[in-house]
Amino acid sequence: MNLENEAYKGTISRDFIKKETLKNNLFLFCVAVFLILTFLIYLVLIGEFNFDLFLGLTLFCVIIPYLIIAPVSAWYFAAYKRNFSYIIQKNNIVINHGVFTKMRATIPYKRIQNINIVCGVFDRMFKTYTVKIETAGHSAVSSGTKSRGIGPEGYIPGLKDPHIIENRIKEMIFQSSLPSEGLEDKIFKPQELAFDNFISYILSKMREGELLQTSIKELREKINLSASQLAEKVGVPMQTIQYLEEGRYNPSLVLAYKIAEVLGCTIEELFKMK
Amino acid sequence: MKFKNKVKSNIKELREECNLSQQELADKIGVSRQTIYYLEKGSYNPSLTISFKIAEVFDDKRLKEIFYQEPVIKDILKSKTLEELERISSEVGITTHKLIQLNNISDELLNENYTKEELEKIAKNLDSKFEELFEG
Repeated sequence: MNLENEAYKGTISRDFIKKETLKNNLFLFCVAVFLILTFLIYLVLIGEFNFDLFLGLTLFCVIIPYLIIAPVSAWYFAAYKRNFSYIIQKNNIVINHGVFTKMRATIPYKRIQNINIVCGVFDRMFKTYTVKIETAGHSAVSSGTKSRGIGPEGYIPGLKDPHIIENRIKEMIFQSSLPSEGLEDKIFKPQELAFDNFISYILSKMREGELLQTSIKELREKINLSASQLAEKVGVPMQTIQYLEEGRYNPSLVLAYKIAEVLGCTIEELFKMK
Repeated sequence: MKFKNKVKSNIKELREECNLSQQELADKIGVSRQTIYYLEKGSYNPSLTISFKIAEVFDDKRLKEIFYQEPVIKDILKSKTLEELERISSEVGITTHKLIQLNNISDELLNENYTKEELEKIAKNLDSKFEELFEG
């Protein structure tokens, strides 16, 4: 239920039919002119120009096919428009299309690589746009089947305002890339892992510190040195000295050497194993 | 004198005296063999508890007898040829012997025998900063 509420269903503009019909008629007109010219040249070349023959050829090879093809194609584009719909859902885009063979293409947002907005010469005449949704690994299938809409590549023609779709798809991609509800804090985050490691390292150092007995405090007080002064001389944070005195930290040998040097004693005098 | 952040050690010699392999020593202390390897190589700064455990294995030796620190300047001097050392010492105005002595010198002797000016000149000629070599 929720899914249907969020879904955005769209169809394509009527101008798509006009555009495709114009395109088609232009193509048919070119073919007709080409055929008529061919007949003319042929008849002139064989030397016996017969107007009746020319008229007959033109009628049967050009006009009658045109009269059949034009309405059929007009009907086809209308049907194509009627059957075309796209639905922007939560996790994917569904594109329904096809006149004779009904197709239903589902494109998950995860697979979308880029969105192209195309505005061709005929598109500009009718102010429509074509949105092409490119997916990862579409080339193998769609290069074999170049015909419109077939293949996994999303193809939405005849749109008046493609930016609505573009923005919606972008929004949806962003939403679907977010972690699902209740799982937000289970997502792997390198910084947090590093922090966890750091904490466990410190904790293990502290636990080892319990094995050590230290007399830093006594030796330090003997020469009237405060913890912060000692820390400054050794070049470590004050907390380190505090932790050491409380027996909560296992220092490195170099640090122990430095402290022993500042306090003028040996390491053995400073620290003892319990 | 500024020391390196890693400690050199005599573990290898001591270990061979006791006829211990790296693995045996590692097992006794409870660390991995790699740790022993890095300790022998001198590219490791062990924790104090490990250091104490190692000292315990070798008849409770003093830590200073097993681990020793090398001054930062030692590696730099080591990388120079004798001619370079002679050139540097003549530029600073001290004998070459005095320059090489910096390899192993206590802080008191350092303050007694070398003026701050000399040390600054030495650091400059070795392409380092005074604090990097002598303060710490």
